[in-house]
Amino acid sequence: MIAFEHVGKRYGGRFDALAGLDFTVERGEMAFLTGHSGAGKSSLLKLIMLLERPSRGRILVAGHDIGRLHVSQVPYYRRQIGVVFQDHQLLSDRNIFHNVALPLMIQGVTPREQARRVRAALDKVGLLHREKALPVELSGGEQQRVGIARAVVNKPALLLADEPTGNLDPALSADIMRLFEDFNRIGTTVMIASHDLALIAGLHHRTLELADGRLIADKDAR
Amino acid sequence: MSSSRLRTRKPTPEAVESADAAERRARKGARSSRVSVESRYRSWLSHHGAMARDSARRLLVTPIASLLTMLAIAIALTLPAALWLALDSARLLDNELNDSAQLTLYLDTSVSEGRALDLADRLRDEQGIGGVRLITAAEGMEEFAQALDLKRSLSLLDNNPLPASIMITPVDTTPESVHQLATRLESEPGVESARLDLAWLERLRQLGELGQKVTLGLAVLFGLGVLLVVGNTIRLSVESRRQEIEVVTLIGATHAFVRRPFLYSGAWYGLGGGLLACGILALGGSWLAAPVTGLVQSYGGNYVLPSLGLSGGAALLFSSTILGWVGAWFAVGRHLASISPR
Ligand SMILES: Nc1ncnc2c1ncn2[C@@H]1O[C@H](COP(=O)(O)OP(=O)(O)O)[C@@H](O)[C@H]1O
Ligand SMILES: [Mg+2]
Repeated sequence: MIAFEHVGKRYGGRFDALAGLDFTVERGEMAFLTGHSGAGKSSLLKLIMLLERPSRGRILVAGHDIGRLHVSQVPYYRRQIGVVFQDHQLLSDRNIFHNVALPLMIQGVTPREQARRVRAALDKVGLLHREKALPVELSGGEQQRVGIARAVVNKPALLLADEPTGNLDPALSADIMRLFEDFNRIGTTVMIASHDLALIAGLHHRTLELADGRLIADKDAR
Repeated sequence: MSSSRLRTRKPTPEAVESADAAERRARKGARSSRVSVESRYRSWLSHHGAMARDSARRLLVTPIASLLTMLAIAIALTLPAALWLALDSARLLDNELNDSAQLTLYLDTSVSEGRALDLADRLRDEQGIGGVRLITAAEGMEEFAQALDLKRSLSLLDNNPLPASIMITPVDTTPESVHQLATRLESEPGVESARLDLAWLERLRQLGELGQKVTLGLAVLFGLGVLLVVGNTIRLSVESRRQEIEVVTLIGATHAFVRRPFLYSGAWYGLGGGLLACGILALGGSWLAAPVTGLVQSYGGNYVLPSLGLSGGAALLFSSTILGWVGAWFAVGRHLASISPR
């Protein structure tokens, strides 16, 4: 699903945030990305989302060299990836339903189909009863689950998450991770950046460890 | 509470199906989608409608600020529009003046009345001459005396010192052709001189041309002003919705999608400004109507103060809306470049 080939990323022409990355993540796999703060986890995810372009090497997603995508195609590429952010990035001026519906609205899905899919996604994260609430009326864990619902409403083949549990206590973090496992179990490829080693250790998934932009360990814990 | 709930949640058949579908979709390439063209078109239309309503709603949320922006646009539009109206009516006046453009041929005093009549008849048949009126020396004296009330003193003169004259109304009243006609007729035998009072007409025309250029220049400048006003307002609203723009860009919004609500805001501002400008022009017109009509009537003219009319109003609204749209387009375009990832 994801293949990095000799990928490097240099910011500002001097500083190598990522260097010599070579790895693949198979379709349907679930992988963690760990490493100290500043190791390059976010940069790696940004490369996959085409928020940044690699300075060296190439990246294949679903068999396509994403470096060759024209700028005008980037939005259509992004629609196939679900993204969950640490600070969930919900829009405060609209309710939960409309937040989750956003990707569908962007894609021009009919309102009826939107409603059906939004409710299915909210149901999966256990928040169907809160669809009318505004983001501020939810707890941190609930907000993050709304963020996940928004990421999966589009039924993406690939789900990326950057520190999705960064702001949550351990119990809620475990909840969120189990949600990701649920989606992985039904075939979605999942890649989660996290520095919460204790949490990751208990989950027994493949773990890629970065240090100073290099891949220093690739452990399959299954 | 939620943890047990999440733990026991089993993947639904629908979700399994959907993950497969998503994979198939991904395999087909980045551009493919399951959404049919027709339903996409329909929801594209409905998104336009939704954005038009949403941006109108946003303007109404801050009525004073919106009104101020529209007023600024209206004022920028009113001045060139008023000038244009004034010029337009001046052109009407100009046409009327053209029609009265006349040429006077003064004949040699030696020319007899019979020969003067012959000349007048001949000129009547000539091309380029619309009307001919002969004023014999005697008639000339009569008019002159009457005008000056000098009947008695003039009757003391032995013979009439005035020449006969022929008034010519040209068909083509442009200054150049009237000039040409004058030079041609001046060389006719028996014609002493041709006089045409076109200098002031020409001056008026030049003034009109100057006025036109000034109006055009002002229209361009003030049009730019409208662009800047709208651009600046939209820039602020882009700034205030920055997070939203970043998020929708991240989840696959095209530039067109991001731009759309702002374009509608710009168009609404433009339309509002245009409506206000129409109102200002109408008010100003009715305010000035009485004194202007009075003034013109005192000169014996009949001049109606110009108004925009239906087509003028429509043109003003149309151009102000377009200006608002374009201003927004530039403002958002500049910002999209700074917000969206390379
Ligand atoms: N846009 C950027 N410009 C310059 N340096 C950056 C940029 N983004 C990240 N970096 C640097 O790259 C390194 C990796 O950052 P990041 O990928 O955010 O690490 P992590 O997510 O693992 O904490 C850091 O040293 C960071 O300062
Ligand atoms: Mg990070």
